[in-house]
Amino acid sequence: MTNPDILIVGAGHNGLVAAAYLARAGRKVLLLEQRAVAGGQLAGATLTSGAVVPGLHPAGQLRPAIVKELDLARHGLATSVADAAYISALPDGGSLRLVSSANDAATVEAIRRLSQRDAERWPEFVAFMHRASAFLDAAYATTMPRLPQVDLRADGLPLASLALKLRRMGGKDMFRVMRSLSMSAVEFTEEWFESEPLNAAIAGVAIHGVTLGSMSAGTGFTLIHNWLNRGGLAHRTTTGGPQGLTDALVKAVLANGGEIRTGAGVAQILVEHQRVLGVRLESGEEIRASTVVSSADPRRTLLGLVGAPELPPEFVWQTQSIRMRGSVAKVFVQTDGRHGLPEGTIAIAPTLEYLERAYDATKYGEMSQQPYLEVTTSGTDVTVHFQFASYALRRADWDSMRTELEKRAIDTLTLHFPAFKGSIQSVQSITPVDLEQSWGLTEGDLNHGQLILDQIFFMRPLPGWSNHRTPIDGLHLCGSGLHGGGGISGTPGRNAARVLLQR
Amino acid sequence: MPELSAVHHPLYQLRRTPFHARTSQLCLPHNWRRWGGCLAVGSYDLGLDREYWAIRNHAALIDISPLVKYQIAGRDAARLLHRLTPRDIHKMQVGQVYYTGWCDDDGKLLDDGTVTRIGEQDFRLTAAEPQYRWLSMNAVGMQVQITELTERMAALSLQGPKSRTILNLACEQPVDSLRYFRMAFNRVAGKAVSVSRTGYTGDLGYEIWMDAADALVIWDALMTAGHDYGITPTGILAMDMARVEAGLFMLDVDYTSASHAWIPGQRSSPYEMGLGWTVNLDKQGYFVGRRALEREHREGSSWQLVGLEIDWEGLEREYAVVGMPPQVPASAVRGSVPVYAGPRQVGYASTSTWSPVLKKYIALVHLQQPYFTPGTKVEIEVTVEHHRRKSPATVVKLPFYDPEWKKK
Repeated sequence: MTNPDILIVGAGHNGLVAAAYLARAGRKVLLLEQRAVAGGQLAGATLTSGAVVPGLHPAGQLRPAIVKELDLARHGLATSVADAAYISALPDGGSLRLVSSANDAATVEAIRRLSQRDAERWPEFVAFMHRASAFLDAAYATTMPRLPQVDLRADGLPLASLALKLRRMGGKDMFRVMRSLSMSAVEFTEEWFESEPLNAAIAGVAIHGVTLGSMSAGTGFTLIHNWLNRGGLAHRTTTGGPQGLTDALVKAVLANGGEIRTGAGVAQILVEHQRVLGVRLESGEEIRASTVVSSADPRRTLLGLVGAPELPPEFVWQTQSIRMRGSVAKVFVQTDGRHGLPEGTIAIAPTLEYLERAYDATKYGEMSQQPYLEVTTSGTDVTVHFQFASYALRRADWDSMRTELEKRAIDTLTLHFPAFKGSIQSVQSITPVDLEQSWGLTEGDLNHGQLILDQIFFMRPLPGWSNHRTPIDGLHLCGSGLHGGGGISGTPGRNAARVLLQR
Repeated sequence: MPELSAVHHPLYQLRRTPFHARTSQLCLPHNWRRWGGCLAVGSYDLGLDREYWAIRNHAALIDISPLVKYQIAGRDAARLLHRLTPRDIHKMQVGQVYYTGWCDDDGKLLDDGTVTRIGEQDFRLTAAEPQYRWLSMNAVGMQVQITELTERMAALSLQGPKSRTILNLACEQPVDSLRYFRMAFNRVAGKAVSVSRTGYTGDLGYEIWMDAADALVIWDALMTAGHDYGITPTGILAMDMARVEAGLFMLDVDYTSASHAWIPGQRSSPYEMGLGWTVNLDKQGYFVGRRALEREHREGSSWQLVGLEIDWEGLEREYAVVGMPPQVPASAVRGSVPVYAGPRQVGYASTSTWSPVLKKYIALVHLQQPYFTPGTKVEIEVTVEHHRRKSPATVVKLPFYDPEWKKK
């Protein structure tokens, strides 16, 4: 493509979403991807160790508005999602099987065996969680104002319409949601239920993907956030899986006239006098454009690709202060099929204290002795999401701890599913350092910045910079590190495109 | 034994400069001031006349060790200072000294001082206040070492028409060829020093930088060499009068650092402080405050620091009302005094002083646009026998006093 209007750095799902919207609006969009394939976290990789591993997410859905507006069904995206089961392995060897719909009789019956009272409250809980995630969804779809100076002309209307939308959803609920955001998963679930296995099962979703424990403030928020992205407790798988999602987005970009170049890593975002000029690729090639949109994480984009010397000192300091601190590892196990694992999303989250103790490891730069796991299967393949595995190990490095990581994942899972160990044929793993090296995620943070209360809404990616812009004119951000980001949703990509098209 | 009170805690005690053994012997009136956490001599006499006239007529020796000093070295040393200050540091030659302020990203001054290029990749920065955090924040992504030298490096200022003669006697190498705002290495009493032709008096003068351990030897050598030329240990109060005559301002007296301002209105830009000549908007690359300074340059400043000469006959008239001749302060007055155009206040004086050499009552004033134009007639408040009155005054360009030998 000659003389593109807009360069997009990174072909993860948010980069693809932004590209598709911008291309659809008639902009000449060139998407540059460092790796050989598009898809970001949804795509697999060849690690520096030589191991070939699949993508990082067993499932993922874009927000329905994006699917509709980009006409992704026409580009091959399967839109029907099955309601899936969330199975929590219990300490006594049994399991608790939950389906996140208010009226699932089997779920209510399973809870009744733990507590009559909890079974009666479950339908109300599910309804509340769906409303709470609808609140969050509405807030995410609205670009946040740049506090402390709110530009009423630019932000006033969207904010007023958000307020109206939230009001319509119910004032009483809104208050309850606001209160829930800052609570810990323990406090939140114990307000609803008395049964420990149920509370712990829910709390597992609250700490999933974040460096927080069940007793950390703000895990009420992460619970609602993850519930919104999943549509409930369990991952919902779609036909075509995560790859199908990437394929549809790629087709949408191309069909609208956009271009995607893979194997085209950006080495430098070129800047002069706080104005973007274009990019220089790792190959040395320079491509000029008046607008550059980066879907890489904010720290990597600003301090790595732009460079601190081009940015105001206070802004640099703020960017350095974004807490990344990944603590997720993945273990992929190929089995002979006799692993004995049920279908659905399996959680090793037996008690609330178990989750908090697993998290404790991150405080000391360690790996959990007894980790919180979330496990999904696909035929004979078993994918284990492992928490907590500190990015910065204090007493070892990840080269030497990889075997230990795999061992702890397998042993923990075998404790609950004794047939598992005997079924193993091969094991591969992704450490937080692999996430940084192979996916470009600073400190191995899947969310491009922790989902904590001081890094969300108008404080994401940075206080005062919630409108996708940066101190560099023409440089915008569209990745997971932005408001609405964290997990798979496409919201930051959509919001970024809207801001650009509003100019 | 009673417990030590809080004021005796080391944290609350003022440090002594490396010259304390000498200055404390000479400071007869015990007129000490606080400067950068150090004890600094206010004056060595009960009055300031002898020290003031040493600056203007022969040579004053001033202990300036409390200045905050940094070494900035490494591959990106020039790059850091180029980013930090509005001056074009890449154009600086080795041995050159720049005076400059530096700003926050709103283009408001944080502090001011000198930058000396000691070597290609080695600079010295002086400041009124500690800057380590700000320097570090600006050095992210650069290969540079920032070392604070404040306590390990002593400094003396030798100011006055005879300063060159004295230095030529005291130094191993003559300083005749050292140009204004240049620095050269030298030796005094066998000790390594660097000598810069800089100062805070607007006169011919030099600043001598040395290892703190060599301080007393060098003090003694300079005093011996200067004996026949009337070298006079001088405190900071006489220097304060001289610096107003020279049109030089002082942090926390004539402007407030943007990092300490309580309200936006307390901040000042380099343009407002008359430092437009230090702002190089044509230089390459980003520097802190660039955007804001470009805008101010385009749109003009609403304030400016200028000189004010109080009209002597007008002052006489105000005092005549109570039957007195005009009274002038015996030292520089650091206090805000309102300046009026008709009934309206259009600015304020931040430092005012009687200038013995000019025989004029002068002030550094901050005036609103358009009153800062030289020649403008305004009025300044004077307190005549406990009554507030207004005396006519004229806006003038700075400096008030600029002897031909300063740069020669």
